[in-house]
Amino acid sequence: MSFFDTHLLNLVVFLPLVFAALVLMLPASEPGQIRAVTLIGMLVDLVVGVWAYTRFDPSGAEFQLEYRVHWFKEFGLSYHLGVDGLAVSLLLLTVFLGPLVVLASTTYISHRIKEFHLALLVLQTTMLGALVSLDVLLFYIFFEAMLIPMYLMVGVWGAEDRQMAAVKFFLYTLVGSLLMLVALIAVYFISAPAGARSFDYASMYNGLLEANRQLNACRVGPEGACASLTGLAGTLYTYGPWMFAAFALAFAIKVPMWPVHTWLPDAHVQAPVAGSMILAGVMLKMGTFGFWRYAIPFFPVAAQQARPLLATLSVIGIVYGALMCLAQRDIKKLIAYSSVSHLGYCMLGMLAVTAEGATGSAYQMLNHGVSTGALFLLFGFLYERRHSRLMADFGGIAKVMPVFTAFFVIITFSSVAVPGTNGFIGEFLVLLGTFKSDLGAAAGNPHLTMVFGAFATLGVILGAAYMLWMVQKVFFGSLTHRENQHLRDIGLRETLTVLPFIALVGVMGLMPQPFLERLTPSTDRFIARARVGIPGAPQAEQVRVEVMSLPSSPTAAAPQAPTPLAARDVPSPRQ
Amino acid sequence: MVPISYYLLLAAALFCMGMFGVLVRRNALVVFMCVELMLNAANLTFLAFARMRGDSIGHVSAFFVIAVAAAEAAIGLAIVIAVFRSRGSVLVEDIRTMKH
Amino acid sequence: MNLSQFLQVAPVAPEVLAPSLWLIIALPLLGAFICGVFGKMLGRANVHLVACSAVAGAFILSVLAFWATSSTDPESRRLLSYFPNPFGIERDYVRYALAYDYGTWFAVGDFRVNFGLMVDHLSGTLLLVITGVGFLIHLYSTSYMEHDEAYWRYFAYLNLFVAAMLTLVLADNLVLLFVGWEGVGMASYLLIGFWYTDPAKAWAGRKAFVTNRIGDFAFLIATFLMVLLVGAFTKQADERDYLPGATSAQRYKAGLEAKGPVTFLGLQKLAEGLPDGASGKVDLSTPIASGPLEGYTFGGVMTVALLLFLLGAAGKSAQLPLYVWLPDAMAGPTPVSALIHAATMVTAGVYLFSRMSALLVLSPTAMATIAIVGALTSLLAALIAFAQDDIKKVLAYSTVSQLGIMFMGVGMGVFWAAVLHLVTHAFFKACLFLGAGSVMHGNGDETDIKKLGGLRHEMKWTWGTFLVATLAITGILPLSGFFSKDAILHGVHHNHLEGLHWVSTLVYGLGLTIAASTAFYMTRLYLLTFEGPRSKEARVAHAHESAWHMTLPLVVLAVLSVVSAVYAWPLMKAPGDGRPQPVFENFLSPVFASMNRVVEAGKVVELDTSVPTLGNYGFAWLVALVGGGVAAFLYLSFFPARAGQPAPAFARAVRRVAQNKFYVDELYELVVIRPVKFLSFVLFRVVDALLIDTVAVRGTAWVTARVGSALRYVQSGDAQAYAAVMVVALLGGIAYAFIQVLQ
Repeated sequence: MSFFDTHLLNLVVFLPLVFAALVLMLPASEPGQIRAVTLIGMLVDLVVGVWAYTRFDPSGAEFQLEYRVHWFKEFGLSYHLGVDGLAVSLLLLTVFLGPLVVLASTTYISHRIKEFHLALLVLQTTMLGALVSLDVLLFYIFFEAMLIPMYLMVGVWGAEDRQMAAVKFFLYTLVGSLLMLVALIAVYFISAPAGARSFDYASMYNGLLEANRQLNACRVGPEGACASLTGLAGTLYTYGPWMFAAFALAFAIKVPMWPVHTWLPDAHVQAPVAGSMILAGVMLKMGTFGFWRYAIPFFPVAAQQARPLLATLSVIGIVYGALMCLAQRDIKKLIAYSSVSHLGYCMLGMLAVTAEGATGSAYQMLNHGVSTGALFLLFGFLYERRHSRLMADFGGIAKVMPVFTAFFVIITFSSVAVPGTNGFIGEFLVLLGTFKSDLGAAAGNPHLTMVFGAFATLGVILGAAYMLWMVQKVFFGSLTHRENQHLRDIGLRETLTVLPFIALVGVMGLMPQPFLERLTPSTDRFIARARVGIPGAPQAEQVRVEVMSLPSSPTAAAPQAPTPLAARDVPSPRQ
Repeated sequence: MVPISYYLLLAAALFCMGMFGVLVRRNALVVFMCVELMLNAANLTFLAFARMRGDSIGHVSAFFVIAVAAAEAAIGLAIVIAVFRSRGSVLVEDIRTMKH
Repeated sequence: MNLSQFLQVAPVAPEVLAPSLWLIIALPLLGAFICGVFGKMLGRANVHLVACSAVAGAFILSVLAFWATSSTDPESRRLLSYFPNPFGIERDYVRYALAYDYGTWFAVGDFRVNFGLMVDHLSGTLLLVITGVGFLIHLYSTSYMEHDEAYWRYFAYLNLFVAAMLTLVLADNLVLLFVGWEGVGMASYLLIGFWYTDPAKAWAGRKAFVTNRIGDFAFLIATFLMVLLVGAFTKQADERDYLPGATSAQRYKAGLEAKGPVTFLGLQKLAEGLPDGASGKVDLSTPIASGPLEGYTFGGVMTVALLLFLLGAAGKSAQLPLYVWLPDAMAGPTPVSALIHAATMVTAGVYLFSRMSALLVLSPTAMATIAIVGALTSLLAALIAFAQDDIKKVLAYSTVSQLGIMFMGVGMGVFWAAVLHLVTHAFFKACLFLGAGSVMHGNGDETDIKKLGGLRHEMKWTWGTFLVATLAITGILPLSGFFSKDAILHGVHHNHLEGLHWVSTLVYGLGLTIAASTAFYMTRLYLLTFEGPRSKEARVAHAHESAWHMTLPLVVLAVLSVVSAVYAWPLMKAPGDGRPQPVFENFLSPVFASMNRVVEAGKVVELDTSVPTLGNYGFAWLVALVGGGVAAFLYLSFFPARAGQPAPAFARAVRRVAQNKFYVDELYELVVIRPVKFLSFVLFRVVDALLIDTVAVRGTAWVTARVGSALRYVQSGDAQAYAAVMVVALLGGIAYAFIQVLQ
C-alpha cells in the first residue's frame, strides 16, 4: 500500500493546515498572494477529497480508508480515522465548498485578510477531522475546535451586531457540547470494564450493544422486567435516557431543532458570506451527522422512546421555520429560517427509520449544503453592491441584473424542491419514508404517522410561498429605489463561483444514483442499529462495528489493510 | 506529674487567643504576632504529646515549625514594610484593592 | 397501397422509434436552453427559428410516434406496436403502444422510479395536441411579441413549457408525471409573470404557483398512499388476487422491482385485482393488516387517495376550490393564455384521471365527488363569466367552465368523451384566445369588450375564425364542441354509480344549465366585440387586421374545430358486439380496456355504451339555441334600446356580485391568507423573539450575569474576612469529627 493509500484521509484533513502554515509565512500586505495560496490549498484538498470519494467502495467494508495509531494508551485514546458512506459524502460537500468560499470572499473581506484566510483553512481542517474521526473523543475535539474559527469569522468580519451573534453562537453551541462531554465520559466508563476501556467508536458501540439488546428485549417482556435488570443493561435502563438526552441536546442545538434554534438567525445575519456558506453548508450537518453516527446508535432504546418527541419537534421545525420566513424583512434571516425548515426534513427522515426516509435525509443534507450555500453566495454578491439586507431596500432589480436573477431563480426552485432539481429527490424520499414509517406506532397510534406526514408535506406549500414572496419583493416589480438603478450585473468571477452550484443542482436532481449508491449501505446499517431499540422489529444479525485494530507495536505507524467484513473477531481495542 | 491535659488546654487557649487576634486586630504587625502565638501553641501541643509518647518525633516537628515560623516572619515583615512604604499605613483594613 | 393501408403502416417501425422517444422532450428543452442562454446574441429572427423548429421537430416526431402506435404489418395485418407488460405474465402484451425505459432515476430500498416513457393512443393524441397547437402558438407569438424586448426569454420559457408538458404526457409512472406536472407549473409561473416589472403581474404568477403547490401537496400525499397500498397489497394478497389482472405474484413483484411501485401499468394490475367479489383474499373491503394505514380498508384508502388526486388536479386544472389562479393568469401574454391555460396545462388533471381510469372506477364515491366538483365549478365559472367585461377574463372563466365539464365526464366514467372534449376544447379555445389576442393587437391592447364593437368589418379573418370558434363552443351550430359536449352529457345521464343514482341526474341537469349559460356568455362576448356599432370609447379609430403569422394559426384552429366533430360520430363498429361506436371511443378502447375490465368485475359503476339519438342531439341543440337567443335578444335589442336608462338596483347588485367573482378571492384572503400571515407574525414576535430568544436564551444569560454580580460581593478584599471563612470551615470540620467520634 502506498503512502497515499494509507494516509489519504490524513491528507484530506491536514492539507488545509499545511497551507495555513504557508499562509502564516506570507506578509499580511499581500492579499492577492494570500488568497491565491488559500485557493490553491482548497483546490488541492478538493482533488484529494474527490479521490477519497471515488476510492470509497459502496459494496466494501463499513469503514474504509482507515488509519489508526496509538495516542494515549492509558486513556484508551487512539488517533483513528475512517469514513463510511455518509461521512465520505459530507466530506465531498465540504471540500467542494472550500474553494468556492475562498472565491466568494475575494472582494467581500477587506481588512485582516491574512487572519481570515487562516481561519478558513483551520476551519476546513476541523470540519473534515470531525467527519472522519472514528475515535469518539477525537470527534469531540474536532467538533469543539470548529467553533473557534467560526466564532472569529463572525465576530471579527461580520456585520454590525457581530460580537453579540458570535458570543451567542459560541456559548449556545458549547453548552450542549459540554453536556455531551459528560455523557461521553460516562459511556467510556460503562462500556467496558477497567483495563479494556477505550474511546474508540467500535469498542464503545460494541460494548453497549449487548446491553441495548437486553434492554430492548425486556421492554416487550413481562412488566417490571426492565427494573430488575442488572449490570450494564440496568445502568442503561436508569441512565440511558439522560445520556441520550445530553448527546441529543448537543446535536439538536447544532442542527438546529426547534426550540433551540434561535442562535442560527443571528449567526447567519451577522456572519460574512463565507461564514454563512460554511455554517449552512457543512456545520449544521454536524448535528444531523452526530445523531446518525453517535446519538441514535449508542442509545437505540432511549432514542426509540424519544422518537415521537423528536419527530414532533422536527415537524414543528419544518412548519414553524417556514412560517417565520413569511414574517421576515431581512433576506439573510429569511434564508436562515429556511435552513431550520429544511433541516427539519433531514431530522424527520432520520427519525422515520425507513430506508427511504434515512437515505432521503442523508441526501437532503447534501442538497441543503448546495442550495442554501448557493443562496447565501448569491445574496453575498447582492450585499457587496448595496450593503443592505432588507427586502424593502430592493425591488425590481431583475431589470438591471437579469443574469443574477436567473441564477437566483434557479436556486430558488432547488430550495423549493421543484422536480428536476436536487431538492425534490431529498424531500420526496423523506416524505415517502415518513409515510411508510412506524412513527405513529412509536407514538401510540399507527394512524398518527399520517398526521406527521401531512404536516411535514405542508412545508412544500409554505416553502413556495415564502421563497417566491422574497423573490418577488427583491427582483420583480418596478425599480423603486434610485440607488438600485446602477447595480452591476453578475461578473465573471462571480459567475464562475455560482456555476458549480447550478451544475450540481441539475446533476444531483437528474442523476442521483451515484450519490445514493454510496449512501445506501450507510443507511442500511443505521437502520439496523436503530432497530435494536424498536421492540418487535426484526434484528439484523450483523450490527457490530468492525474497524481495524491498533497496530501491534506501539511505535509502528503503518496500519494493516482493513480485512473484509465476514467472520472477524471483535478487535481488541488495546494491545 | 502534671497531667498532659493541662498542657493541651493551655495550648488550645493560646491558639484561640491567637486566632481571635488574627481575625480581629487591625494592625498588621499585631496580626503577625498573633500568628506567631498560634504557631507556638501548636509547638506546645507537639511537645506535650512527645512527652506523653516518650519519643522525639514531636521535638523534631517543633523544630520544623520554629524554622518555618522564622522564615515566614521574615518574609511577612518584609511585605509589611513594602506595603507601608507604598501606602503609608499598616492597618489591614486599608489594603483592600482586591475588592470587586 | 390505398389510403387505409398507408395510414396503418407507420413509416418508422415502433421498435426503431421507441428508443428515440426522449427526443420529443429533448428538442424543446434544447430550444429553451439555446434561446435562454444565447437568445440575445442570436437576434430575433434566429430565436424565432430555433423555437418554432424545436416544436415543429417535436411535432413531427409526435406524428411518427402516433402513427407508430397503430402500426400494422402490411401483409399479415398483424399489429406491430405492442410490448410485453412488465407486470404481466408471459404473453401479456400492451397493445397499440410504444414504450422505452431509459434506466433508473432514483431507487432506495424497495422504491424505485425509472425514466420510462410510453406512447399509447391517449398520450399520442395529447402529444399531437400539445406539439401541434404549441407550434401554431409559437408561430402566432412571433408576430404578437414582435415589439417586446425580452423575446428570447419568452420563447425560452415557452419551449420549456412544451418540454415539461410533453414529459407529463409521456411519463409511464406517477413520479415522472409529477416532474412534468410541476414543470408546467414552474413554466406557468415564469410566463404569467413575464412582464415582471408590473408588480400585479408578478403577483399573478406567484399566486398561480402557490395555488398549484397546494394541489401538489395533495398529489404527493396521494402518491405516498398509493405506494403504501401497493405495499399492503403485495403483502396480503395470495395467488388468486393476481389472476384477474392476467399476472402472478412472482411476475408482479418482479415488475415492482424492475420498475417501481408507481408505474401506471402496475397500478392497473392492482386495480384489476381489487374489486369486491373478485377471486382472492384481498378486495376493496379488506382491512390493511399492518403499517401506518392499519385498520383502514383498501377501498377506503383508495377513495381518500383519489380525492387527494382530485385536489391536486383541481389545482392544476383550475377547479373548485383552487381555480382562483386562472383568471389572474390572464396577466400573461395572450398566446401564453392560449397555450397554457386553454389547451395544455389545465388539461393535465383530466389526463391524470384518464391515465388512472382503472383505479378511479374502483371508488364510486370519488367519481361522484369529481363529477359534482366539476359541475359546480363549471356553473360557478359560467355565472361569473356572465358579468365580466374583460375579453380574456370571459375566456378564462369559460375555460374553467369547460374543464368542469370534462371533469363531469371523467367523474361519471365517460373518459373517452372527456378526452375528446379536451381535444376539441384545445382547438376552439386556443382559437378564441388567439383571436382575442388578435383583437387586442389590432385595437391598441384594449381588453374591455364594452369599448369594442363592430370589428366584423375591420378584422375579417379574426372575425371569421372567432365566429366559428364561438359556434363550436356554444353548439349553436353543431360543430365539434357540440358533439363532444353532448357525448359527455349523454354519458353523464346514462352512466350510473352504485347507490348514487341521484348524482347522474343532478350532474346532467347542471350540465344542461351550463350548456345554456355557455351559449349565453359566449354569444354576449361575440356580439359585444364584433357586432354592433363601434364603441365611442375605443382606443383606436380603426382596428387593423393582424399579420399572417397570427391569422394562419387562427384559420387552422378554426378548421380543426370544425372537422374534429367527426371523432364523435358513431362511424365505427365496436369490437365484440358490433354496435355503432363513436370513432374516438373506438380509438381509445385499448387505453381504457383495463378500466372496462375493472368495471365489469366490480359492478359498482354502470357504463352505458349507447349512442345519442337524433332526439338527444335535437334537445341539446335547442338548449344551446335558447342560451344564444337570449343573449342575442338582450345585447342586440334589449340593452341598446335602454341605453342611458339606469338598471334596476337588484340587477345591478347581481351584476356586481358576479363581476367581483362572487367574492371568492376575498373569502380566501380572509380565511386562509390573512390567518397564515397573522400566525407567522405572532409566532415570530411572541414565540421566537419574545419567549424563546428573549426569555429563554437571553434570560439565561441575564440570570447568569446577575448571579455573578451577586456572588462578587463575597470578594470584599478584606483578608481577615477570608481568614474568618477558613476558620468557620475549620470549626465545621472539627464539629463533624466530634460527631463522628461520639457516634
